[in-house]
Amino acid sequence: MVNSLDPTCNTTPEPMTPGSTTPNPTPLEISAAELTVPQNTSAASAKDIASDWEPKILVFACQYCTYAGADLAGLSRLQYPTTTRVLRVPCSGRTNPQFVIRAFQKGFDGVLVAGCHPGDCHFTTGNYFTRRRYLLMTRLMEFIGLDPRRFRVCWISGSEGPKFQQVVTELTDTIRPLGPSQKLWDEGGISS
Amino acid sequence: MKKVGVFVCHCGTNISQTVHCEKLAEAAKTLPGVAFSTEYKYMCSDPGQTMIKEAIAEHGLDRVVVAACSPRMHETTFRKCIDSGGLNPYMLEIANIREQCSWVHSDKDKATAKAGDLVNMAVAKVLKNEQLPSSFIPVHKRALVIGGGIAGIQAALDIADTGYHVDLVEREPSIGGKMAQIDKTFPTMDCSACILTPKMVDASQHPNITIIPYSEVEKVDGYVGNFDVTIRRKASYVDSVKCTGCGLCSEKCPSKKIPSEFECNLGTRPAIYSPFPQAIPNKPVIDRENCRYFKTGKCKICARVCTADAVNFEDQDEMVQIRYGAIVVATGYTLYDHSQYGEYGYGHYKDVISGLEFERLVNASGPTMGKIKRPSDNTEPKNVVFIKCVGSRDKARGHDYCSRACCMYTAKHATMVRDKIKDSQAIIFYMDIRTPGKNYEEFYLRGVEEYGVTYVRGRVSRIYEEGEGENRKLIVQGEDTLLGKQVFVDADMVVLATAMEPQPDAAGFARKIGISYDQNNFFSEAHPKLRPVETLSAGIYLAGACQGPKDIPDTVAQAGAAAAKVVALLSKDEMETEPIVAKVDTDRCSGCGFCIPICPYKAISFTDLTERVHGSVAWGPTGKEVKRQVANVNNGLCQGCGACTVNCRAGALDLLGFTNEQILAEVDSLW
Amino acid sequence: MKDTVIHATNTIAIRHEMRNIARNLLEIQAVDLILGWKKGILPNKSAPAFIHRPDQVDDLIFDEFCYHNLTKFLLGCPDRQDRIADNEDRLKTAIFVKGCDSRSLIGLIQDNQITRENVYIIGIDCPGLKEEHNTTILAKKCETCYTATPVEYDILIDSPDKRPENPNGLKGFQAHRDLAKIENMPPAERGAYWQQMFQSCIRCYACRNVCPVCSCKECCFDQTLPNWVGKGNNTSDNGFYHLVRAMHVAGRCVSCGECERSCPMHLPVMLLNSKLGLSIEELFDEPPASMNFDVTATLNHFKPEDPEEFM
Repeated sequence: MVNSLDPTCNTTPEPMTPGSTTPNPTPLEISAAELTVPQNTSAASAKDIASDWEPKILVFACQYCTYAGADLAGLSRLQYPTTTRVLRVPCSGRTNPQFVIRAFQKGFDGVLVAGCHPGDCHFTTGNYFTRRRYLLMTRLMEFIGLDPRRFRVCWISGSEGPKFQQVVTELTDTIRPLGPSQKLWDEGGISS
Repeated sequence: MKKVGVFVCHCGTNISQTVHCEKLAEAAKTLPGVAFSTEYKYMCSDPGQTMIKEAIAEHGLDRVVVAACSPRMHETTFRKCIDSGGLNPYMLEIANIREQCSWVHSDKDKATAKAGDLVNMAVAKVLKNEQLPSSFIPVHKRALVIGGGIAGIQAALDIADTGYHVDLVEREPSIGGKMAQIDKTFPTMDCSACILTPKMVDASQHPNITIIPYSEVEKVDGYVGNFDVTIRRKASYVDSVKCTGCGLCSEKCPSKKIPSEFECNLGTRPAIYSPFPQAIPNKPVIDRENCRYFKTGKCKICARVCTADAVNFEDQDEMVQIRYGAIVVATGYTLYDHSQYGEYGYGHYKDVISGLEFERLVNASGPTMGKIKRPSDNTEPKNVVFIKCVGSRDKARGHDYCSRACCMYTAKHATMVRDKIKDSQAIIFYMDIRTPGKNYEEFYLRGVEEYGVTYVRGRVSRIYEEGEGENRKLIVQGEDTLLGKQVFVDADMVVLATAMEPQPDAAGFARKIGISYDQNNFFSEAHPKLRPVETLSAGIYLAGACQGPKDIPDTVAQAGAAAAKVVALLSKDEMETEPIVAKVDTDRCSGCGFCIPICPYKAISFTDLTERVHGSVAWGPTGKEVKRQVANVNNGLCQGCGACTVNCRAGALDLLGFTNEQILAEVDSLW
Repeated sequence: MKDTVIHATNTIAIRHEMRNIARNLLEIQAVDLILGWKKGILPNKSAPAFIHRPDQVDDLIFDEFCYHNLTKFLLGCPDRQDRIADNEDRLKTAIFVKGCDSRSLIGLIQDNQITRENVYIIGIDCPGLKEEHNTTILAKKCETCYTATPVEYDILIDSPDKRPENPNGLKGFQAHRDLAKIENMPPAERGAYWQQMFQSCIRCYACRNVCPVCSCKECCFDQTLPNWVGKGNNTSDNGFYHLVRAMHVAGRCVSCGECERSCPMHLPVMLLNSKLGLSIEELFDEPPASMNFDVTATLNHFKPEDPEEFM
């Protein structure tokens, strides 16, 4: 017989940690001690990072704003670190979050998704969808333990050469002390 | 076997001073798929391009990477180059090693390493490139001009003269627009009607122009070359074919005291009316709101006196759909509602009027037969004060922008006051005097020097009334910023130079036809300098003040430019479309329709797909034909932004030229 | 189309009404298939029932183990798809839905996978289900559900036993029991937690296959061109799978909890969906997905005044 229940959730202990590998109907809670916490969790100490190590950062740049902004930085000879690799997309709305996860999976130390400022999209509305999607995406990535400093979304217009310079310089300077990113969920674990 | 050729450009020393171009070209040889690699001083030069073409032939290359300047600079150049070398122009990728590498870095080794990565990415991508066919869409050789002011008339005439048919849609009963209301035009002081009405007649008699008066555009479907436009012909209650335009109905109409829109409410008109005597078409319409028959059910005098039996009280709005190849939007402007400036007493003081009202007062065919009389008591004003920038250049209450024409028409008005009323004074309050046009400065100086117009620099803070009856006058209180003191000026009449602003329904109209508009609701041009008459929607062009405040010469020039663009489009039997468009894999499409709302161009819609079902299914026989809905991209409308591809979870939508595979290959290429 | 409400006082009465309605629908030939539940072979596990004939209706039951969301059975059936396309006036399918099921049905209708006119929806007020292995406690999947009464139906079997409404309304009701715990972990520990979760995943795709809003014809994880994700079972690709799946159902997930319930490894799969669901609530002030037909999926529209964090 189905009876009405107290609406408050029951508090019977349930496994906090996934991964009892046997299909046990009432898996035991894995204690925190069993979690394999990677050693280089916080900002890696200076000795861990080779002195000449430079992060590798993938930039998804919309061709009407940020790519043009990066070109303008070039025309103005604004110097910035050699850490960025720009991948041109027609609109920031083309940047599928799957590409970003793939980049972290492969081992990029940081990812920047950049497009026109909301309201200025060459395609009228593309970046509004980007904004919604990446507001969620940034939260999700942080939730699964990715250091939020490695993943940035930013509006850089075609006239903002200096902003492009500033953003990629900042991003490089922020990531450098974090050390190399361990590829997402590669055997060594997620890196912060 | 895919064969990539990599061509590294030195760009003189622009690239080679920071990037080891020889090493780069050498390293590229080791990349998978690369069959040939070389470097040259100027890849974009004639010998450079010849080198690419020769390499294609000699090494059997089927795709090309050029490591050089930004693709925004020379992508088209190199596409043409490999096209003439026998490859599909889209078998090209550019590695941007100048703007995004050599110019922004100084460490030569690091810059070379980065350039190597950029070449790597480009090679990985180009290996996934596919030949993209240019597709062609037919062009329907008929143009639509929306708005029958001087911009629309000029554009229509210019298009029609080249032999293409033009429909000119006007929402008022007559074409002519604001220019028909104006008395004289600066700086030549031509009579406005004398230069406009011949053009109106030309338009009405032109074999290639159809004027569709008293009608509005309801809907625009389709795309460049093939717009399907729905036009609402508003019920005019007068059969324009039968009507001879004799005017007897207007003469006999008993409701005569209706404020005339054309006369800025300074004159009156009957309920069955033509806006002005030179109207084209000169066929009256019935103003339903004010018609005695529609209000009381009795009258029909107009029908009785009409010898042509043209009056039809049963007339209904009618929708017509016509296909056009190109559209010119020339919907014009309206004037800022200066009742916002309560301290100027507009509406409260009858003798505070707008510039356009002044045009009617001074017009020989206007309500005062061209005698300047102040509205309150029909006496001749002796002291006339003009206030400029009412609603323009005023962030707080009006618009940020300058309305451009006001300085000149105020100079014109003041000159006319001094000319027509010999013992008068014309005083202009101004912020700046802007006369950037041919003979404009001279015109303004003539007003000051020959006609004795007085300019006072400063804003007016208040207008108030003093005295009674004959002695009643307005006091204009303002600051003379050059003298640095308050001034009080007696005025018999005050004329406000109100801002030009977009039509009240401009934003809604823009959305309806699919063009963008700026923060002020003026329609946006595709590029402020280089594409001033195009919109971002291919095949739709702008003319006149709907794009921004303009005077008549600029409007006419822009109308001509828009007409030239239309003619260039219509002169082609079919037009080539950009092949970088979204493409649907119907096998993968489940018809969820998530791509439809995300497309800003309404390029995606459902289509029915009939297919045969095989294999075991839960219910029903196998091997039977089923119909299902899938997404379909209209290549004419798609602009290639790729937003839809991300909203397609199954990846059934992909963007040619930037496919999922290509982008993943680029991401993977560096690891 | 919330037409008729029938009152039933207890589970026996509910079962009785279910059978009456089903029998009647088949006899008057309003429908030719009814999707419901029947007693399962294993204890504490009711099974889906496919009723074609009036003599089968006595198989129908409703108890605390009717976990299955039946709406997904409406998909992948070309015969029925065909009706959608040609709008032929053929017989409908009737389906029994609990509150959570009804939301996923709305989701599928919004996704153009089912036509509302082609289904006859029989709603049941849900008292909340029980854990299969401990019948005294509320099933985990029901903890995040406060839509006891179906949000859409043609006929509703009302019951006094139904689970009470959430006192906080819809706010926060998608929160997974463990969400706060994970959120409060230090980042490194959180990373390790997920690392372990993705390591334990066997990529059986049960969570995807059971998900009522996963309605793609060909899932991107099954594709090889492009090869979105490696097909092997390794931590990295498993992680990609879970994150991408979470993004794909973001703003569409009806928090029915079937993914987590069906996971043979007992992984907290719902956590990711719950995190995104609450983020949507917080960021865009939107109601949970598919509570009615008016709101479309979160990532299908935008507001110019959405929060700005990317300046």
